[in-house]
Amino acid sequence: MIETNRDRLLVIAVQGEIVSPASTGYRAQWDGQPKLALGMGGIKYNLRVGDPCFGWASGDHVEPGVTIRGKEDPVPSRCALALLACIGNEAVVVSGEAKGEKGVFTGRHAGSDDLVWFPPETIEKLAIGDKVQIRAVGVGLRIKGFEDIRVNKCSPGLLKSLGIEVEDGKLVVPVVKEIPGYLMGSGIGAGTVLESVDYDIQTTDPKAVEKHGLETLRLGDVVCLRDQLCTSGRGYYKGAITIGVVVHGASDYSGHGPGVNPILSTKEGRIETRIDPDANIALYLGLRDKL
Amino acid sequence: MVRTNRENLLEVALKGEITHSAVAPSYTTGWDERPRLGLGRGGIVYNVKVGDPCFGWAMGEKVEPGASADGVGEAREKGAFRNLSCVGNRVRVVDGEAKGEWGTVVGKVGYIPGGGHHVVIDFGEETLEKLTIGDKVQVRAVGVGLKLVDYPGVRVISCSPALLEAMGLGERGGRLVVPVAKVVPAEYVGQGHGGSPPEASNWDIQTQSPDAVAHVEDLRFGDVVLLEDTLSAWGRGYYEGAVTVGVVSCGPSEALGQGIGVTTLLTCKEGEIEARVDLNANLKKQLGIGGGQG
Repeated sequence: MIETNRDRLLVIAVQGEIVSPASTGYRAQWDGQPKLALGMGGIKYNLRVGDPCFGWASGDHVEPGVTIRGKEDPVPSRCALALLACIGNEAVVVSGEAKGEKGVFTGRHAGSDDLVWFPPETIEKLAIGDKVQIRAVGVGLRIKGFEDIRVNKCSPGLLKSLGIEVEDGKLVVPVVKEIPGYLMGSGIGAGTVLESVDYDIQTTDPKAVEKHGLETLRLGDVVCLRDQLCTSGRGYYKGAITIGVVVHGASDYSGHGPGVNPILSTKEGRIETRIDPDANIALYLGLRDKL
Repeated sequence: MVRTNRENLLEVALKGEITHSAVAPSYTTGWDERPRLGLGRGGIVYNVKVGDPCFGWAMGEKVEPGASADGVGEAREKGAFRNLSCVGNRVRVVDGEAKGEWGTVVGKVGYIPGGGHHVVIDFGEETLEKLTIGDKVQVRAVGVGLKLVDYPGVRVISCSPALLEAMGLGERGGRLVVPVAKVVPAEYVGQGHGGSPPEASNWDIQTQSPDAVAHVEDLRFGDVVLLEDTLSAWGRGYYEGAVTVGVVSCGPSEALGQGIGVTTLLTCKEGEIEARVDLNANLKKQLGIGGGQG
């Protein structure tokens, strides 16, 4: 059992609004074919955390549940929501027909924005433009005895539910899959802030998808990224290990694919992994009974 | 001689302006979580030229050799400047004290904080002394649409016919042999993944992990390099067996995932290109520009 500084964390309110999907017409896929994509932004009635990353018709970067965006700054990634909300935080609808109903923050996709799970009956009542408030807690979270491990975008509740064990001075973290660092694509090197940006496991080389079994990835899966350091920013560092949560689906655009929010990162190899096909936040956070 | 469709290419004028130096408004945090104030990105850098080493400049961060310009006007006009200018194109200064003098496009760099892009231009020493930030430049752009007639699987990107002819391309066993100063494995290739179109901006070779730095610490501005397992055809991404050939157009970085900028020149998916390592594969020799040659 790991101990943390959770009793010293500030709990504060951050807010966003449900955004409309956006479309600018066709975009070139990796193979030069045009694509009219959907699945980013707004309200997705039939896509939730735990569902597959691949296979949605014309889907690209599909985001489960509801997508909201901070509004106090014209640049969403500079809003408090983008920086402070952590996976597993409680969400509440504060305007519209579903006012008062609760959900859970499930990650941030820098390309479209902040993702929230709501129960199906709530989703039916939601409208684009409704306001959602998050009880943000998790920034500053540290694991006692492992203060050198960077914790990011991870609520104390999620950290506790990950099934982490300590063995020989290392954290052992259950993950669905190990991803080689060279597959990490869009988002790598994108600025020096970790909290507000995800980065993608590339799925535009069919050979690599098959070789690494990526087609079975699910939204919400916990994965290990080898030779990747996520402290101030994201990038290659030999021997570093990053644990992350898959927040959005696959892509046909060169260099893109399922997006990952890093939640734990070590330069010194202080993390080991154990493969567990059920290492998914939908189960950890009680958002569904089975995958 | 490798055959091209050069005679079918349009030549067009593009308007740009010498940029300010791009400096972050506050300290940025390096990979080691220490604060830094990096310099040398864009604007006019008097003492770094094509042919000079990429590493070793004090507090240098993504240093661009010579002068840099971006498009002016609406987004679509800036898009033309960024997408249509090609490495090796000639550039004329059209106002200010250096009016009428010429330079050469040596690279294109994107991902500038705030959304800017830089077309990196080599000017002779005397011209550089006369240039001021804000001076207007006009690129005589030619290269978009350039094809290698006998290699339909190779896509030519941001490469002028003049540079293509000067690269010393050879042919062997149905493959195109390209002289490059270095071959870089995909695991070191960072920012640039997912970027589209590949005509705008660049890839980065990451320069934080000690093994990556050791691999590229002798690189020079203007070096032609080959990035393994990367496809830059309609966007930039990992693809086993694909290659990207590009030119080093900005220096290393302390920010995770960033580093030496490489502007794409050639890419192919199925192994049509083979590298021949040649330490002289640099724009300084190929185009007769850069340090010491005015």
